Amino acid sequence: MNMHAVSRRLVIAALPALLVACASGPKHAEVVASIPTVAASEGRVYIYRSNSMLGAAVQPNVVVNGKVAGESKPGGFFFVNLPPGTVEISTATEVEKKLTFTLDAGQTRYVRTTVGFGVMVGRVYPELVDNAEGAKAIAETSYTGAPLPRR
Amino acid sequence: MRAFFWACCLGVALLAACASEVRRIPVDLVSTVPDAGRRWACTATLELLPESGYRRTIAAGTEFVAVGRVAQGLVLKPTQTVLTLEGAHMHEAYVVLHDGQFVGFYLPVERAYAALPRPVPAQLQEKP
Repeated sequence: MNMHAVSRRLVIAALPALLVACASGPKHAEVVASIPTVAASEGRVYIYRSNSMLGAAVQPNVVVNGKVAGESKPGGFFFVNLPPGTVEISTATEVEKKLTFTLDAGQTRYVRTTVGFGVMVGRVYPELVDNAEGAKAIAETSYTGAPLPRR
Repeated sequence: MRAFFWACCLGVALLAACASEVRRIPVDLVSTVPDAGRRWACTATLELLPESGYRRTIAAGTEFVAVGRVAQGLVLKPTQTVLTLEGAHMHEAYVVLHDGQFVGFYLPVERAYAALPRPVPAQLQEKP
């Protein structure tokens, strides 16, 4: 078998895995009207990952203040409402990566998860981003969080 | 040649694995200081190089508000943008101003100060 045939078979074999790896929820535009406004006594954190094939199969849990809040999926976003105070977001593959920041009541913040190189598998890094950048980015993603109330 | 390639890959991966924790010391932030609430805007783009080596850029026009003082200087929080300090993990950070220079970072969650190896002259203009 020549190299082209091997490459073709590898691509065909990998395609279903890559398709499954992408976020499959409704687009942001389809759910934005259903996202409830955040209570005045709480803040909100949106967590997202851009739709890149790099490390697409690496989809660790996203842990917020010690509780699993969702998964880092390519092209997906979800949100959590939290009481004001300090926030710790972590993801773990071969190593754990943490992000710490503050959250005020009524404040919205955006956290991007990105895949970086690791020794054996990719690592997923949570990063705090500017609100303008985060709001623009999640508009391109699909909702992967808990079911939203119908409007 | 192939062995060299894989050795290089392993070296890069191991280097990535070795990011060290941000070196910091605990500090107390005193928020009731005369400067609290004063606002400034950065008039030039500045590059800050923390000890961890992960460079941070403060763009011209970035606005700050004074939120208090630590022993090392006045703590300025960015108002429209976010600033983080990265080592093994990532931390939200504010800048610390002393004698017209950015001398380090205040980490609000850890309540700690991380010094810049080389202070950077702060080009700030006070806002009304």
